Amino acid sequence: MLKSIKFKHIILLIVSVLVIIFGYNNYFLYDTTIVKVTSISSKYVDEVINQNITGKIMNGDKKGEEASFNNTTSISGVFDEQLHEKSEVFVKMSNNEVTEITGVKRDKYEIILLVLFVDLLILVGEKKGVKSLFSLIINICLSVLCIYLYINKIIGIDLLPLFIILSAIFISLSLLICHGFNKKTMVAIISSIVSVIISFLISYIVLECSKEQIYFWTMNDIEIVSDYEGLFYINILLSGLGAIMDIAITISSSLQEIILKSNNISVKELIKSGRAISKDILGTMINVMLYTCYVSIIPMVVLASRNYMPLSNAVTTYGQLELIRVLTSSISIVISIPIALYISIFIYKRGDNK
Amino acid sequence: MITILSVILLVLLLLVGKKDGLKTYICFYLNYILIYAYIFFVVLGANAIVMALIICILASVITLFLMNGNNVKTKSSFISICIVLLIMFIIIFLLGKYSNIQGFSYESLESIGAYSFSINYNMTYLIIGVVLVCTIGTVIDTSISISTALNEIYLNNKKLSSRELFDSGMNVGRDILSTTINTLFFVFIGGMVGFFFWHTSDSFGYIINYKSLVQEIVELLCCSIGSIIIIPITAYITSKNLKKVKRKKNGY
Repeated sequence: MLKSIKFKHIILLIVSVLVIIFGYNNYFLYDTTIVKVTSISSKYVDEVINQNITGKIMNGDKKGEEASFNNTTSISGVFDEQLHEKSEVFVKMSNNEVTEITGVKRDKYEIILLVLFVDLLILVGEKKGVKSLFSLIINICLSVLCIYLYINKIIGIDLLPLFIILSAIFISLSLLICHGFNKKTMVAIISSIVSVIISFLISYIVLECSKEQIYFWTMNDIEIVSDYEGLFYINILLSGLGAIMDIAITISSSLQEIILKSNNISVKELIKSGRAISKDILGTMINVMLYTCYVSIIPMVVLASRNYMPLSNAVTTYGQLELIRVLTSSISIVISIPIALYISIFIYKRGDNK
Repeated sequence: MITILSVILLVLLLLVGKKDGLKTYICFYLNYILIYAYIFFVVLGANAIVMALIICILASVITLFLMNGNNVKTKSSFISICIVLLIMFIIIFLLGKYSNIQGFSYESLESIGAYSFSINYNMTYLIIGVVLVCTIGTVIDTSISISTALNEIYLNNKKLSSRELFDSGMNVGRDILSTTINTLFFVFIGGMVGFFFWHTSDSFGYIINYKSLVQEIVELLCCSIGSIIIIPITAYITSKNLKKVKRKKNGY
């Protein structure tokens, strides 16, 4: 047993190291020329920094040759890139001269994080970790596939109905893959779907009834979808989905764990325990939504406020969209608790009486 | 619209949680004010990373001790959260410093075009702070879920040893883990639907290095990593602490 665990860990380590090495040396995959910065001399003029950069070309025909160019950046770095040694940038070349920096290569950081994430998931989550990784990959592929199908007009339904059907599939697939085909999962799937339907109806009615104008600042450039509202409803629908599943499975699995540890527990005691669990997750789940959704507006608000827009104005202008998202998700979280609790107890205890 | 939604939320919380529902609502607003205060101090020119650390500690104090009272499970959670915060700080700081994920990318040019870009504030520090604050929500959530579940298991069967409690904690933790990651993923895909529609004609290599996507991925993965490492730490500390308290009560 000990031997097999050690063997697994060694394989994991080797694979991780190989992937990271690949991440550091994947220049050949890109068509755009990549330059790795070898030395920089910077000149400070007020807030602006002029960087004189020498670098080595990492791919293409001129691999290994030196290139030098200028980069204008600033202390703030709102819309520019302050390069440092060992930064890698995509550049446009003409006649052996670098004419333009088109972007910074960031994929190795993503790969390092991803490897760290997958390793931890496997080490801590063991079998369940691998399963959730698997369901994560399937979910990502499904959503990308659906967007692709929609854009190429292969499936001819509207965006919103498409994603409503998709969300039921998401719920069933993720829960089934992660927790297997058993009572716990079925309970969670039923309560999740009921909760999603009820909470989405509430949000939909409220948003349709109040004719207030929403400022879709995060979506203003999307040309393919003319219907921002549909996109916004999908945004709301998907954001709450994970949390609803989270609550449903937490309640159903905790109740099952309690029943397993102490067999003769009565319905009343179960409701009491369930209440205690839900009391604690109630507050924290809502805070997860607040923190994960709402903080992304901070850079925008800071930029606007530092440009002498009053802070409260900036927060209402740029925070409205995210705040609606947080509130609707919170509503779905709160609704899903009693639904999950009563459906779980009903199904578990009905089986007991037989 | 926001008023109607918050009233609905309050009514539902009161119906479901009664007294605790009201507490949750107050806690929600305190956390909102906390984020607002963070923005306020950052706009005034305070260091975004230091402020983020303070906000993280304050948020866990509010969520744990104000919401759930001062007891074994909240104390254990608090210690675990502080440890994880330290680990995440190191990871996020290194990432933010080297990966150039500060600021905005081309798609938001229309929104930010009207503003001056020389705001004399280091956006690198800001993004490190933002990711840190973003991470703390999930970390607190996972931690309190595990310590609560462990406490319930312990109350229902006090004969369990510290080792068995730890195993139970990890068992509950694994269930929470997979769904927490699902939660985060759906928040991420919900927010990025627009992005995917915008970049359908771009190559994979271009998208994968695109700043706003990398920002989102870093946020998503840092939240996930935080919520994974909190599991064994909370399970260990809570199982030890629950047993310690029992021994004290029995007088050894």
